[in-house]
Amino acid sequence: MPRKFFFRLMRSGPLGAMALYVASASPLHAARPAASSIPSFSAEQAQSGADLYQRACAMCHGADLSGNFQTPSLKGRLVASWAGIPLSRLTGYIQRAMPLMAPGTLSPEDATALVAFLMRENGASPAKTALPVTEKRQASLKFPALAIQPDTSPSK
Amino acid sequence: MTNRNRNIGRRHLVAGASASSLVGALAGSRLLHAQTPPVSPAQAFTPQKPRIRLQPFDLRADQITDIKVCLRPFRPMGPRFDVERVGNKLVFHNYGHGGSGWSLSWGSASLVVEKVSTTLQRKVAVIGCGIIGLTTALTAQRAGFDVTIYTKDLLPRTRSVRANGSWTPDSRISLTAPAGPGFADLWEKMARISWATYRDYLGLPGNPVEFIEHFVLSDRPFNTPHEEGPDGRTGDYASTGMPQHGTEFARYSDRIKDIVPTAEELHPSENPFAAPYAKRNTLMLYNFASYGHLLMSEFFQAGGHVVIREFHDPSELTSLPEKVIINCPGYAARDWWNDKSLIPVRGQTAWLPPRPDLPYGLHYQGASAVSKTDGLMVQAYDLNNEGEMGSIGNSFEHPDRSESERAIKVLADLFARSPLSEG
Ligand SMILES: Cc1cc2nc3c(=O)[nH]c(=O)nc-3n(C[C@H](O)[C@H](O)[C@H](O)COP(=O)(O)OP(=O)(O)OC[C@H]3O[C@@H](n4cnc5c(N)ncnc54)[C@H](O)[C@@H]3O)c2cc1C
Ligand code: HEC
Repeated sequence: MPRKFFFRLMRSGPLGAMALYVASASPLHAARPAASSIPSFSAEQAQSGADLYQRACAMCHGADLSGNFQTPSLKGRLVASWAGIPLSRLTGYIQRAMPLMAPGTLSPEDATALVAFLMRENGASPAKTALPVTEKRQASLKFPALAIQPDTSPSK
Repeated sequence: MTNRNRNIGRRHLVAGASASSLVGALAGSRLLHAQTPPVSPAQAFTPQKPRIRLQPFDLRADQITDIKVCLRPFRPMGPRFDVERVGNKLVFHNYGHGGSGWSLSWGSASLVVEKVSTTLQRKVAVIGCGIIGLTTALTAQRAGFDVTIYTKDLLPRTRSVRANGSWTPDSRISLTAPAGPGFADLWEKMARISWATYRDYLGLPGNPVEFIEHFVLSDRPFNTPHEEGPDGRTGDYASTGMPQHGTEFARYSDRIKDIVPTAEELHPSENPFAAPYAKRNTLMLYNFASYGHLLMSEFFQAGGHVVIREFHDPSELTSLPEKVIINCPGYAARDWWNDKSLIPVRGQTAWLPPRPDLPYGLHYQGASAVSKTDGLMVQAYDLNNEGEMGSIGNSFEHPDRSESERAIKVLADLFARSPLSEG
């Protein structure tokens, strides 16, 4: 039953483009974090994570990842909770626990794409090499400390 | 329920009609519940002709105990949330909440603390202990930070407690055009988080936060467009750098209609006031004394520290031990951070002795009275029918007793004409 619901959601069209516009218009995200020892992931990976996110996660965590009163934001505090932790644990958590109503439905590729997307949305830039999917290789990569940096844009 | 809630109906609301017709008139109203026997839902919705009597407030200028004046920290583009570096410190701004600081405080705090979390610091300094600084400090504690508040004054001496203190989340918060659609989304987020957080402060001893009955009265039907008196103002914010018309101010409350109780228009037979048109709603209030004490004690119980200190220049922040600072100085940012985008919007409240036995409020002809636990508050919003424009850009932070006396008289005259009587 929950699985059916989940797959129905997966098929319905995303509002991705609009959501991304909203995210970048928010003054909270005008400040971009600096890159420092960020595990490499590809732009395609992050984009496939973004598409999946809009279909499977946005209804709870919000189109712009900011969560709500009862669902954690996947920006900001996510960094505080996961920085320095092996990526395999985050991928594992997402596979094991998310989406909340259909846990265990995501493939390792999907969960990895979502992790790439989460890094991108928290300020990391994509690179040439894709993030490896195997748990063993992810175990040696850490979620980066993506600190928010001062805003240099003219509109304050 | 507290004593305050229980006493009302018995002592002060008198019905000239049967219990069921009373309930029909104000179903769900706490003003009525005390002495009315329980009724079935079917009875509760039977429309009948009620004669509700609310006891009038004792509105006389010689009852004034205090007149408070305050400047709303208004920014046309909405509050300031950007991040700045000062020496080796990272400064996160959280100020400029216009006439909505009480209402949006928790949501605003939560958005800022979310960003501060990415610094991976354990200690954070908060500048300011108005409602924004204090809720920011508490939110940071709840996110695991050790918090020190640096401020020149604690809450009871800040501009925040010179406000009205009710749920007004889109009052002078921004101008529609300069704020843009991105801010509307952010506003909705702040409003929803705040509203949800306030549930945790309802029904507590001393009523730190409560809902009361509120009547909006009018001489003209509610659906006729509001016409401002001619005031000689021309242009708009884009052409003059100052808002010129009430219509430039953003209104976002339709975005949260799904969670905020709707006002209902009263049938003339249900209207206890001598104004031809009346609406009733429930209004959320922040009672400054009890809510303020509760928040301060929560802060200390969670291990928070306060340092009384006044800053004069941003460079002084480099002497603080914390690397991360959240700046919540309200209107004072105009001086202390040299932020000229802040426009003062003056407001004044007069305080009469508390009437906790009469928990209701009303609004008529630009004047309002609201019964709070710490006083009966009277405010002149718009006595000259200028679309509330009279106070924009006015930084005369000094009491004007005649303004309060006029507001008292508008409402006292209304009561004198209304068929309310002593119970
Ligand atoms: C008449 C009136 C009615 C209002 N009614 C409502 C309402 O019904 N609902 C609502 O939601 N909002 C209302 N508001 C708006 C609300 O009061 C403000 O938005 C809110 O008080 C802003 O809070 P703040 O903490 O940012 O500022 P403040 O309360 O001004 O706090 C600033 C803090 O910073 C400290 N500080 C300032 N400068 C320095 C310095 N140089 N060094 C050290 N410390 C410093 C101060 O001591 C203080 O502790 C009203 C405002 C007015 C004027
Ligand atoms: C039905 C609502 C819902 C959906 C859909 C959902 N989540 Fe969640 N998510 C939650 C809740 C609630 C929590 C908090 C769980 C807890 O605390 O036990 C959470 C927690 C998380 C966390 C941990 C956050 C932290 O700070 O540690 C991550 C990561 C996450 N979700 C990712 C996702 C992803 C990726 C998806 C889509 C595949 C998704 N979620 C879909 C409700 C949801």
